[in-house]
Amino acid sequence: MSRYIIRRVLSLIPTLFVIVTLSFFLIRLAPGGPFAREKDVPEIILQNLMKRYHMDEPLGKQYLRYLGDVLRWDLGPSYRYRDLTVNEMIDQGFPVSMELGAISLVVAVIFGVLVGIIAALKQNRWPDYLAESIAVVGISVPLFVLGPVLQLFVGLQWKILPMGQWTSVHGWKALILPTITLSAPYFAYIARLSRASILEVLRSDYIRTARAKGLKESVVVRRHVLKGAMLPVVSYLGPAFSGIVTGSTVVESVFLIPGIGRPFVQAAINRDYTLIMGEVIVFSLILVLANLVVDIVYGFLDPRISYK
Amino acid sequence: MNNKKKKDQAVNEFNQVMKPISLWADAWKRLRKNKMAFVSLIIVGLYTIISLGAPLLTQAGIIYDYKEQNINNATLPPSFRPAGDLVIAKMESRISQLEEAVKEKEQTQQDSGYSASSGFDFGTVPETEGGEVSPQENGEAAQDAEIGTTTTDSDYIDPNVTFSLDFGGHGIDTASADPLVRELNFQKENLEKIKSEMDTDPSYKKVYIFGTDDLGRDLLSRTIYGGRISIMIGLVGTLTAALVGILFGAIAGYMGGWLDNVMMRFVDIMYGLPYMLIVIIIMAFVGEKARGNFAILFVAIALVSWLTIARVVRGQIISLKNSEFVEAARSMGASTWRIITKHLLPNTLGIIIVYSTMLMPSFIMNESFLSFLGLGVSAPEASWGTLVSEGVKAMEFSSWQLLAPSIAMTLFLFCMNFLGDGLRDALDPQSKNRT
Repeated sequence: MSRYIIRRVLSLIPTLFVIVTLSFFLIRLAPGGPFAREKDVPEIILQNLMKRYHMDEPLGKQYLRYLGDVLRWDLGPSYRYRDLTVNEMIDQGFPVSMELGAISLVVAVIFGVLVGIIAALKQNRWPDYLAESIAVVGISVPLFVLGPVLQLFVGLQWKILPMGQWTSVHGWKALILPTITLSAPYFAYIARLSRASILEVLRSDYIRTARAKGLKESVVVRRHVLKGAMLPVVSYLGPAFSGIVTGSTVVESVFLIPGIGRPFVQAAINRDYTLIMGEVIVFSLILVLANLVVDIVYGFLDPRISYK
Repeated sequence: MNNKKKKDQAVNEFNQVMKPISLWADAWKRLRKNKMAFVSLIIVGLYTIISLGAPLLTQAGIIYDYKEQNINNATLPPSFRPAGDLVIAKMESRISQLEEAVKEKEQTQQDSGYSASSGFDFGTVPETEGGEVSPQENGEAAQDAEIGTTTTDSDYIDPNVTFSLDFGGHGIDTASADPLVRELNFQKENLEKIKSEMDTDPSYKKVYIFGTDDLGRDLLSRTIYGGRISIMIGLVGTLTAALVGILFGAIAGYMGGWLDNVMMRFVDIMYGLPYMLIVIIIMAFVGEKARGNFAILFVAIALVSWLTIARVVRGQIISLKNSEFVEAARSMGASTWRIITKHLLPNTLGIIIVYSTMLMPSFIMNESFLSFLGLGVSAPEASWGTLVSEGVKAMEFSSWQLLAPSIAMTLFLFCMNFLGDGLRDALDPQSKNRT
């Protein structure tokens, strides 16, 4: 097992390397530099700017310099926001984004599994159909529709909850709408996933044995069914987390949350090269680490899997 | 007479003619039994027909041009009544609001009211020095009505400043000092003008069942044309992704060995990439001009969407390639290409169709996601994503601008998802209870 973990950690290195390289060259190949404005900058100033940010060097040298900087976790200055380094901007937003992402994931898993259990135990009765309809709606409604519609009704017309901004302004109430928006599709998918896998487990021999022993139904469900049925849900956590991280760019824009998702979109529009690359590296690290954790947890939960 | 024909047909043990049921006929039967899926199929079909025929509908005058701006008809709510009625109703309610506000002010004589630039709320500013702003006569103010179209200038004027200006000898201008009265007169004059134009101007006869946006464009036709672009990008993107995925998966699965290994490692690495972020980067850097080119948009999305299909097809091909019918084909000298295209792929078609149906909603969602962020389709073209993002900006006072495209888009995605589920159950009955 420990050898597997070590190998798995080592295999992250090429993935991260590919991501850094790909984004570096994609960005450098793109037309129009970060200093291309509507008004032309005088030649001499442009040269000084280029020198200041080492952009006058050959591409290979720039690339190696950037790799070295990234290894020392120095993501460079932001090209647009002169006073801030990329590290500072990410340090500011990171805790907020992680809070939102983690809460959304937990909400999605808890409610998704709960609805999945109810639907599976009441198969083909009204709770099942209700859960299925909710799930399909959850999967079909895009984040950027659900968010504004919630804002419109709950925030603007009924004035129950704040329309936006973060806990520093509105307290815990500010969490509710963004969390619902961000977790809805994953809640829906987890509900369907756990329903299907519970149904499959319910038909298996060891459940029949457990019932034959005369165990109470609640014990059968808790101790036997859930243990087996949760494996697909755990393996879905990786993709779910990556979706939540991507989705947070929209949710942060809609609800004006000061995380790292909103600066990313702004940087993409502003062509703030270093900020984009820094954000991509942070996002990729989160995703890759999340997948790693999921894989390892999966290995502990399912003894049938061997790592050879 | 059909004795001869009967001999060719399959017969069961009771000598009854058996109609052979193909996979497709069987699947069709199962799909039709699934009510939700069948309804979804019809709705998806309707969407497709309407978006394909949108230019014809415009030509026939059934829907209006989606780019045409009618500033008189701006921000009208959804209704079956002609636009002129709505414009008049809107102005009359505005006028009565204004009259009430003016009357209130006359009564209290203590407070000076001012209206916000758009005039949606009336706040009252407590008078600091007990000064009075005398009510103006309508006749005097009428001449200033034209200036009164934009009340923004007076918004920033402190009541005291206005007050002192009054004493400053601008005797004639006092009429325009009160923005409330100024706007009231302007609205009244405008109402008369519109009433007189009502019969001559054809734009007032238009009926906007989805309402209009801030520029007076018909939301129904914008939703239809937005859907046209969204569905088109979804369709073309899905086809591209499916083609690439099929080819990649089939070759990897059939060849096996080191080639399979290399190809699948490549897919694994691609899976590890935060692909939506890469797409955002690509879209950000191709620049505003190239973004109008839809080819780049769907290539950017298709770049990563083929992975799942490649994996699924590879799995199917591997399980099929050692079966007897492939061996038979090979023994008769069929080439690799022929075996893949004529024997293996038709047998995986069911699952390919299922996955493509599932891919399409995610494609449309991704495209709209980018457009929502301002990185997708750019104006004057519209997709559902851009319409929703425009709607978000206007939702405070005209929620229909958000709701109309949102509902249209959600209904389509909903039906596509149900259709995908139904198709999977129909074409792949074994996986009935899997998600």
